[in-house]
Amino acid sequence: MSNVPAGGQAVSVQGLWKIFNEGLANEVTALSDVSLTITSGEFVSLIGPSGCGKSTLLRVIGDLTDASRGVVEVAGVSPHEARVQQLYGIAFQQAALFDWRTVVKNVELPLELLGWDKKKRAARALELLEMVQLSDFANHRPWELSGGMQQRVAIARSLAVDPPLLLMDEPFGALDEMTRERMQNELLRIRLETGKTIIFVTHSIPEAVYLSDRVVVMSARPGRITGIVDINLGVRNEDTRETDAFYAGVTNVREALRGRSVGEKQARIGEV
Amino acid sequence: MTKHLSLSLIWPPILIAALFLGAWELLVVANDIQPYLLPAPTFIVENFTSDISLMWAAAYYTGTTAFLGLVFGTIAALIMSLLAQRLITVNRLITPLAAGLATVPIIALTPILNNMFNITSRTPRVLVTMIIVLFPMFVNVTRGLLQVQPVQLELMRSLNAKPRATLRILRIPNAIPFFFTGLKIAAPLAVIAALVAEYFGGPQEGLGSRIAGAAANTAYGRAWAYVVASIITGLLFYLIVVAVEKWTTPWTGRSRST
Repeated sequence: MSNVPAGGQAVSVQGLWKIFNEGLANEVTALSDVSLTITSGEFVSLIGPSGCGKSTLLRVIGDLTDASRGVVEVAGVSPHEARVQQLYGIAFQQAALFDWRTVVKNVELPLELLGWDKKKRAARALELLEMVQLSDFANHRPWELSGGMQQRVAIARSLAVDPPLLLMDEPFGALDEMTRERMQNELLRIRLETGKTIIFVTHSIPEAVYLSDRVVVMSARPGRITGIVDINLGVRNEDTRETDAFYAGVTNVREALRGRSVGEKQARIGEV
Repeated sequence: MTKHLSLSLIWPPILIAALFLGAWELLVVANDIQPYLLPAPTFIVENFTSDISLMWAAAYYTGTTAFLGLVFGTIAALIMSLLAQRLITVNRLITPLAAGLATVPIIALTPILNNMFNITSRTPRVLVTMIIVLFPMFVNVTRGLLQVQPVQLELMRSLNAKPRATLRILRIPNAIPFFFTGLKIAAPLAVIAALVAEYFGGPQEGLGSRIAGAAANTAYGRAWAYVVASIITGLLFYLIVVAVEKWTTPWTGRSRST
């Protein structure tokens, strides 16, 4: 169903500005001249301090807020068109499940809005619950689930219409460290199974490094991209987080966050 | 565990009530207080049980008025709330109006309504009850429709949901617990309104008329027995709302998922 051939351009951001309250006394420049191209099938993390505009960037891509200037394309169309065509799924820090619906009905929601018939959407939702390993909880209510399980339901829901792109805004931010690492593995497995392009906002450096092909480092006031760190960890497993390559990735991202270029720190590593 | 918990919740109020009634009885008997001042609880119960069919008839009449007022008032409030959530301008127009209505001594309007509508009918009383019910229902339901988690609204937007679908799928279910909160306030209030509205003339069948009539005839025990019937009616209205809420919205009162 993916509209974009692998290796094609999934998201393109060119000269994007986002200015809140433009022209007013309380004007805030959330994004200044941001450009970024994301290849289909890529896992890209956006990282930076609060106020750096990483969530705003995600929200512009998802057409949850407008761009002030610049051109954004999702799967070759405008963000608005991409939203109307349901070309992306989204997961937030809060699971945002509806308490009055069972777990399976929560996953069905996007399909219900598209007018799928009952049987078809129930079958699809159960398939997705199997993927996130929550089949046994299909008829439970959201409040009966742990935070990690709720977040898995939210991810299943974001995959419901099988969109080529997943937008994730700190989805594991509220989870404890152990659950978080388990969820990261789960997400990578889902990615492997589905081949989705994923844009992932986080403020955790290890999380960004572990998950991503590329980490986009941003800084605040005004929000902008200050560096992009390539990560080459191959297939992740239990030991990945203890490899030198992983530590090197963490160091690279940390250096970029401190405003030093990747080359600078590599020279420093050589010295030691 | 739950059983023990509910028992420990039920015990204290029963104990307090028993102590209170006992002290009352003792006070009346010990001091030989006359019934026109304060009848003893046993005397009131005696009157209540001996005239049980009268009690029932009066409670049925007033209860019907309260029920009709509650239903029409709730329907009116729901329509106003739906308009208020859809249009900010309507909201700005209606909310002060509803607040204004709440400050009007509505019960005092009964004589005027009695003149405007047929005094021998139930209509003026239902109208008074309806107006009383309107405010708590409108305020609570409107809040329930508007006070939706921002992230849930963003989700609906990301799913390209139209306002009507968002209303049906998100706002209305979200407002249901608020609806019951309003109803728990409005239901006993409706009984009080229906009862007090009877003090201003019209048919003499209801609890309010009966209390006034019995007191005027120096039948103080019976007057108090009607007061007890009024309390039971109000309590019944409240408990029915609680039961319906438990039955229809199992998710309320649970910790909300985030």
